Parts: sequence; structure tokens; C-alpha cells
Amino acid sequence: MKEKFVIAQPWIGLFARLILGGVLFVAGYLKVSAPDKSQMAVRAYEMLPISFANVLGLVLPFAEVAMGALLILGSLTRVVAALGGFTMVIFIIAISQAWARGLNIDCGCFGGGGAVEPGQTKYLQEILRDAGLAFLAAYLIRYPVTKFSVDKKPIENTSQKDVA
Amino acid sequence: MAQAKNPAGGKDNFTRNLVIAVVVGVVLIMLVPTVLSKKTNTSAAIPSSVSVEDGYGMVFNKDVKDVPFIEIYEDFQCPACQRFEAISGEYIADLINTKQAKVAFHMLSFLGGESQLAANAAGCSADQGKFLQFHKLLYANQPPENSGAWTPSYFTTLSLGLGISDKKYDQCIAKNEYKDWVVNVANEGAKRNINSTPTVFINGKEIDRNKAYNSLAEFMLAVKNG
Repeated sequence: MKEKFVIAQPWIGLFARLILGGVLFVAGYLKVSAPDKSQMAVRAYEMLPISFANVLGLVLPFAEVAMGALLILGSLTRVVAALGGFTMVIFIIAISQAWARGLNIDCGCFGGGGAVEPGQTKYLQEILRDAGLAFLAAYLIRYPVTKFSVDKKPIENTSQKDVA
Repeated sequence: MAQAKNPAGGKDNFTRNLVIAVVVGVVLIMLVPTVLSKKTNTSAAIPSSVSVEDGYGMVFNKDVKDVPFIEIYEDFQCPACQRFEAISGEYIADLINTKQAKVAFHMLSFLGGESQLAANAAGCSADQGKFLQFHKLLYANQPPENSGAWTPSYFTTLSLGLGISDKKYDQCIAKNEYKDWVVNVANEGAKRNINSTPTVFINGKEIDRNKAYNSLAEFMLAVKNG
């Protein structure tokens, strides 16, 4: 079982990289060309002072594109996975507080965002999706050596030693 | 990551570092123009009847005293704004024409490129003294979002129906003359925390989201109660 995991681990890592990176890249890409909307989506969470929210709404899509591209290519996997996982945890917190406070907003994860009609919210799905992605990030932090990545493959790697 | 720096570790870090540099570089090259294009330009050309102190809004009856002040934040491409215009637009135009209200229109452009073009064209129509007519006509001809229907030549052709045939108007649209003004309007809307369109304030207070947007009677009541 353990030996099987040693073989499967870099492949699972590749899968995790492509899913997490792909989602981040697409989510960012869909928003970079609509900065007004992205700012609106961040403001709608009513968490940050308006001027902070506007800056974050402008920068976040680009950060997502960068994290996504680096993960897809497998560059600096552990660090970027940590950043991506951190982002997902923040998203989960933001969506949860919106849900708890009874706001009616779309998460704005893939463009869109802002206020929606009551009953049109999808908080649970959004949280579950982000939790899944956070899990993939955690996997990559634990096992950063993956197939087809541009990261150098260390001869001795702590994660591989652990499972051997 | 410490072991990764070990020179005995197989491939060197050159490829990885190159990839990081390229990705971060490309993203920054994309980010910088976006940030710059979002900056408020205080020397932007503004259409006539725009009031800088009213958030760059298109203001009617600016100097009429003791009347309700109606502020409307909307996007020409937004279907709910079209609905609001169909329900209450005529009443608002009446209030303007009979000087019973001061009204500020803020044409936002968060739905994308065609909203930007439409807002610019609306600015051009204001120079011709036809903003209200243009506003109404454009909503009546609202296509699906960013379908490609709203082009500069679309606006010039549409405006023929309003009796606008002026070279200056056509140029204003073709050159996207009020592009910076449209950005300024959007920035003011962002500062005012406008998170959905339409958003309407009467004397600084937002009208009831559950009632006053979808019913003329409720909207009239809201105006009356100021």
C-alpha cells in the first residue's frame, strides 16, 4: 500500500497542481478584463473598508492568474500551493461570513459577483468547492514533488523519506 | 525548499527561475496598464451638464431648490436597469421637465466594453441636448450583454432617429471622446459602494430594494416622501 502510494504520489500531485492551478488561472482570467465588476464583487462582501476592497478587487484577478500559471507549470510548487491554499481559506471565511450575516451575494469567483436576489445564493456549493481546492493545496504543501514540473527534483526529499 | 538548492539535486534551478520571472513579469505588464487606466483623471473632458461635485453625474435641474434629489446609478447593458427605465423612466423625465426634481444619472460601465461605449455615446448625446431621449431609446434597444451589437456606428445610426446628425457627434463617438469621464464615473460609483444596478438614492437615501424598483406607485411614493 505504501509502495503503491510512493508511485502514485507524484501523479496525484500533478492532478492536484492542474486542478488547483487550472481553477485559479481560469477564475483570474475571467476577471482581469472586468476590473469594475471585480471591485464590486469584493465590496459586496462588506468585510473591508471600501478603498481597500477596491484595491483588492483590482489586484486579486492578476494574482490568481500568476498563481494558476505557476502551479500548472509546477514552478515553486510548495510556496505557490501555500499561497493558493491561503487564498482559498480566506475565500471560505469571506463566503461564510456573508452567509452568516444573511447577505445575498454571488461569490464573484469566476466573474460576476455583487448582490443577487434572495434565494439565488449558492454559499454551500461555493464553500465546498473552495474547501476541496484548499485540500489539494494542502496535499501539494505536504508532497510538493510532482510529475512534469519545472521544479528541480531533490535527491533527498523530506516528503519522500516520510513515506518510504 | 532548502534541499532544492543543493547542487547535487539533478536539474538546476534555471528553468524554474526563468518560468517564475516570465509569469510574474507578464502579469505585472498586464496589471500596470489596468491600474493606470482605472485612475481618476481630473482633467478629463466632460460632456455638458456633467457635474464634477455630484460624482461626475449627468445632472438635470442642478440649481433648482427645494426639490427632491434623485441619483441613479445604472449600466446601459443591465436588464434590471432597462426594467427600471420602462417602469419609472417616463415619470423621472416628467419630473425633470417640470422642474420638480434634481436628477443625477451615473452611467456605470462594469458590465464591460459595450457599456463603456454606450456611456461615452450618452455623454456625446448630452452635448446635443438629447441625453434623456438617447437614454430612453438605448434601453428600448438593449441587446444581450456584450453581444457585439453596440458599436460606434450603431450609436450614430440610432441617433439619427433622435434628429442628431452632426459631424461633431459622430466624431465624439468614434474617438471615444469621454472615455476618461466614463472611468471617473465608475470610480465615483466604486467609492460610493454601489454593488448592484440600478441603485437609486432620493435625497441621499437608497430606495427600498424590495418595492420601489419594480413599481411606479411605490417609486412615486418614495419621491414624494423624499
